[in-house]
Amino acid sequence: MRGTLAAMNDPAVIGQGEASRTAPPLIEVRDLHITFPAGGDEPKEVLKGIDLSVSSGEIVGLVGESGAGKTTLARSILGMPPAPGRISAGEVFFEGRQILELSEPELRRLRGRRLSVVVPNPRAELNPLLTIGHQISSMAKIHLHVGNQEARKMALQMLHDVQIPDPERRMKAYPHELSGGMAQRVVIAMALICSPAFIISDDATSGLDVTVQAQVLALLARLAADNGSAMLFITRDVGITAHFCNRIAVLYSGEIMELAARDDMFLKPAHPYTLMLLAAFSHSPRLREAWSVPETGERQEPREGCRYANRCPLAQPVCRAQAPSFNEIEPGHFARCHFPVRPA
Amino acid sequence: MSAILAIEDLYKRFPIAGSRQVVQAINGVSLSIRPGETLGLVGESGSGKTTVGRCIVGLLEPSSGSIRFRDTDLARRNLHRRQLAGKIQFVFQEPNESLDPRMRIGETISEPLIPLKLDRERRQRKTAAALALVRLAPTLLDSYPSELSSGQQQRVGIARAMVTEPELVVLDEPTSALDPSARAEIIDLLRRIQAERNTAYLLISHDLSTVRFISHRVAVMYLGMIVEQGDTETVFNRPRHPYSSGLLSSVMLPHPHLAIESSVSLRGEIPSPINLPKGCFLASRCPFVIDRCKQEMPPRETVGPNHMVHCFRHADVAATIPASDTFNTFMREAERILGRSAPAGSLANIHLE
Repeated sequence: MRGTLAAMNDPAVIGQGEASRTAPPLIEVRDLHITFPAGGDEPKEVLKGIDLSVSSGEIVGLVGESGAGKTTLARSILGMPPAPGRISAGEVFFEGRQILELSEPELRRLRGRRLSVVVPNPRAELNPLLTIGHQISSMAKIHLHVGNQEARKMALQMLHDVQIPDPERRMKAYPHELSGGMAQRVVIAMALICSPAFIISDDATSGLDVTVQAQVLALLARLAADNGSAMLFITRDVGITAHFCNRIAVLYSGEIMELAARDDMFLKPAHPYTLMLLAAFSHSPRLREAWSVPETGERQEPREGCRYANRCPLAQPVCRAQAPSFNEIEPGHFARCHFPVRPA
Repeated sequence: MSAILAIEDLYKRFPIAGSRQVVQAINGVSLSIRPGETLGLVGESGSGKTTVGRCIVGLLEPSSGSIRFRDTDLARRNLHRRQLAGKIQFVFQEPNESLDPRMRIGETISEPLIPLKLDRERRQRKTAAALALVRLAPTLLDSYPSELSSGQQQRVGIARAMVTEPELVVLDEPTSALDPSARAEIIDLLRRIQAERNTAYLLISHDLSTVRFISHRVAVMYLGMIVEQGDTETVFNRPRHPYSSGLLSSVMLPHPHLAIESSVSLRGEIPSPINLPKGCFLASRCPFVIDRCKQEMPPRETVGPNHMVHCFRHADVAATIPASDTFNTFMREAERILGRSAPAGSLANIHLE
């Protein structure tokens, strides 16, 4: 018998990344810009040209600190940027359709059925007045147009799949009767009951205990693999992505700074921001110091050039003058940096 | 060195309103902390970690048992505040919720000094010193919490705790609400303060890798009991309780090839502390379970220097679970990957394109 984490790392569960690299992407974000009005000032650009694709069977991690734009990206992919933000440029292709051009009713038919999102704070997602059985089965009724009996059967199977003990009895439970871990699993069940092709997990496991988190992640990976779904996994916890994702994108201040397959990202990180993030998890004060600049320095984002320049220990004058492009430094490994760090 | 804090056989029960049932939050906890030492207290939510911390600082009154801080019995609550003179302090989890939004930073930090009845000048001096200790600019004294980042807010929380020069600080999940870089800064800060002032910490956390790197000793809690306690390296490398091992195997280090092996995979969740089972509390989730576990509570056994465990099958656990050095391997890997081209030394190491 092996630990949950070991099971999650099992190539049978997760290792579909190789095959998917050649498959055409299921969802493709092209040069997406989101702006927020800022009073009389120039509107603030929160996402500054995101390019990202996810193929069927692939789990792409999106990591970054608060304010980087992770949730804005998740919501914009579903065609609903957080108000008052608006999509100022860019395209999102899903199964060949440009979804940002779809009408609201068309979008609504896609969301929940083909595109699904799992959010943190499950209690806020669930209606306190309805049983969880009712809430899960109505997803199937609305989107798959199945009858009561069939929907109930599907909901029960889903509760079983997300490993809720005694699912028959839990169907009749109200959200307040569930623990946080169980409520999170119910929200996952709701997100997956229509077998969506694309799942966004927006920090969905951050509130859970590590033991429950490991179970929920293993479950998400297995269900996604069973359905051949693609997943965008958004988190602040870089450690999870090392064990859970095929590729990882590092978001900083509305831009993807580095994008690489999991081993390349963790064993050969290239962008100084990625190295700073990894050093923060290293528990070595010396490494942390090596990759950060003293706090007294200018922390404000430069108007020109690289957005990370004022926090970057490698910054040169050119970094503040000219924005770096997103270069492929090795096959499949991209970094937005004039001086990417290379392995010795 | 003699302990600064000694807890013996602590129990805390909460009655449930309108019912004769009680929540058995703490069920016989004994622990001690020496000056300048960090004791990590880990476990899932609902294990009673925070309740232990709250009993120590006097926010809750224990149902039974003793809490001795030096020569003071803290179970006698009325003595708590004045006699301790701020020698025990508390840092909360959510910095923005634990700071009064209408108080300026300076007022917040100096508030714990009020019971000490210092004159105005000394109070200001101590406040300024606390602010400097956490490396915040003096100009922030007149700011409000909403003007600060969450990392800065937590620095204020730490300054407020440190202003009375405490000998023991209970840190309740001090970094779990923070971003990775802010979290690392706060941990470095806490370490530095401990080195300078010999402050003892009780670090309550579910972030096991943080606990691993800053605690001298660790206590693993499950359903109100400490099921295993020992030196951090020992417990992390050679856990003797199935629960400790299962908990450790859930840690996800940011390295794709490093995982902590365990034969224990903790299924399900922590049971309700209202109707505690007879016998070992872990019996329903434990792969090592035998009939005896369901009948009687395993006694506390000493299995090595400073190392105690509550498990009938600790010898089998030790025999089945390979000793692991994963955290040290991870540290070496981090040095190799991140240190190789670190810019601190010379730029010559960096291969520019």
